Amino acid sequence: MSTEARRADRDPAWARWLLTGVALVFLAFFLVLPLLAVFAQAFSKGGAFFLAAVREPDALASIRLTLLTVAIAVPANIVFGVAAAWAISKFKFPGKSLLTTLIDLPFAVSPVISGLIYVLVFGAQGWFGPWLIEHNIRIIFAVPGIILVTTFVTFPFVARELIPLMQAQGTDEEYSAVTLGASGWQTFWRVTLPNIRWGLLYGVILCNARAMGEFGAVSVVSGHIRGETNTMPLHVEILYNEYNITGAFAVASLLALLAIVTLILKSAVEWRQTGSP
Amino acid sequence: MSIEAHGIRKKFGAYTALDGVDLHAPQGKLVALLGPSGSGKTTLLRVIAGLEFPDPGSGRVLFHGEDVTDVPAGKRKVGFVFQHYALFKHMSVFENVAFGLRVRGRGERPSSASISERVHRLLELVQLDGLAARYPSQLSGGERQRVALARALAVEPKVLLLDEPFGALDARVRKDLRRWLRRFHDEIQLTTIFVTHDQEEALEIADEVVVMNKAHVEQVGTPQQVYDKPATPFVYQFLGNVNVLRTPALAAGAKRGLLPDEPDAEGQIYVRPHDIEVTSHDIGGTGISAIVRHIHAAGPQAKLLVEQVQTREHVEVEISRAELTDLGLRVNDLVRLRLRQAHSFNEDYAI
Repeated sequence: MSTEARRADRDPAWARWLLTGVALVFLAFFLVLPLLAVFAQAFSKGGAFFLAAVREPDALASIRLTLLTVAIAVPANIVFGVAAAWAISKFKFPGKSLLTTLIDLPFAVSPVISGLIYVLVFGAQGWFGPWLIEHNIRIIFAVPGIILVTTFVTFPFVARELIPLMQAQGTDEEYSAVTLGASGWQTFWRVTLPNIRWGLLYGVILCNARAMGEFGAVSVVSGHIRGETNTMPLHVEILYNEYNITGAFAVASLLALLAIVTLILKSAVEWRQTGSP
Repeated sequence: MSIEAHGIRKKFGAYTALDGVDLHAPQGKLVALLGPSGSGKTTLLRVIAGLEFPDPGSGRVLFHGEDVTDVPAGKRKVGFVFQHYALFKHMSVFENVAFGLRVRGRGERPSSASISERVHRLLELVQLDGLAARYPSQLSGGERQRVALARALAVEPKVLLLDEPFGALDARVRKDLRRWLRRFHDEIQLTTIFVTHDQEEALEIADEVVVMNKAHVEQVGTPQQVYDKPATPFVYQFLGNVNVLRTPALAAGAKRGLLPDEPDAEGQIYVRPHDIEVTSHDIGGTGISAIVRHIHAAGPQAKLLVEQVQTREHVEVEISRAELTDLGLRVNDLVRLRLRQAHSFNEDYAI
């Protein structure tokens, strides 16, 4: 370890500066510049236009829908994710490796395919289509479909974050709690949850970011009904396709802002995680 | 409270961890479960605690004669200390010890003042008063161990179960702590079972030693019984050093009336290095002729490696340093060996 550190120190100055420089230039071109461009475009016609674009009824509807989707998908995935991680890391049962693999499925398939799967299952021509129509339930091209696919696409974040953490922590603390007379519920709230809280928060932040930004899967099931089934990313696309560039960027800047907030939160959690006793 | 286990069987998939194991820990005794890793000792401890359940229909666990086989761990009133202590990392020492009291139902939960009093009394008992506000990460290994013990005792268990209580400590602390545990046990008089792979530890502090190997109990007895009268070759070899001698040597010795008439089926006899007497060859008399090959005199005892003349088998011998000086032995000297005490597993043999 220490010899490696010395060797790294002995690298010639030009090599260090060159590598750092390349990294910085790359970041500037591919990340910082586009991000600035979003905000520059959003405010290119002044603050008043920006506000108008954001306050426009369809824009407000898309923001509301996105927040609604997040408000349902993220808590659902917290419950699913914690339950799946708990089951996988603390118990032995047949089919465990299958479950572990299935959790990764939403990452493995393209979001568009995820959307299509739901159309095939719940759409008018799908398996449950006739039954749903009969009972007057709309899932595809409606809000429930959007929430379902968002939940599906963002499912792995919490579970993936927690499984290695909980596996590393093992089961001794839980068993300790049990021998001391704690019930399963008490064990979870008083022992397991405090041990995974930072990992859980990290997973929730990532899950939240993805839930807000998801485009492909949502696009397939949404039906693009203005003011009704457009989430923020879909609204941005529509505005852009209508050559309302400034309007598109105004809404996009809100999503970008969210991304920045997410990154700051994520760094704060990471910092807290490494700094905690 | 006495602990009994009868005919416990436990399989993990194809692997048999316990194969019809019986155990009896009398009231107030300190019992050691001794065996190599993989012998099933920890599984047995967890079965007693209720953290694992014996295979269906295989056996029963009794506390004070009462069947607790189907009683869940939380209701068995056992104090369990894990090998790596399993302290709650996010809680202070105080909260760790108080945990078992705080999770009780409304009716049985002591008041906050009496919890506090009890925790401090326990911390005093394990000599950790003053560290109540610390977190586990701020404690040494020995301190963590005692916190785990105090936490287990807080719920007033009827039995105490310790899994490799000294396994994660360094040698110096380990010695201190095991003596402390013995005194502590004498003080609190709680039926205690502890698991260990260290024979010295088991022999030093236990009232009774249960030697386990390959999912079976090999022998049960006091430390002296298992050391002096090992019931099986495994116990002989596991508890201390031993020489295993093959039959030809015995035949030679047997003529002089020294050795077992009937060596066991494999034709082996077992003898501890300090049970071999070394005499000078010149004096004549009886014994197995051997040549000194190596002398290791650093330490409280002198260790000799000798080679039997007839069979070329090597034998380890321990004699006192004074004896070594008296005999004036050097490498390649010819000596005679007499076995003070030896075993073949058909019939005990001793001189």
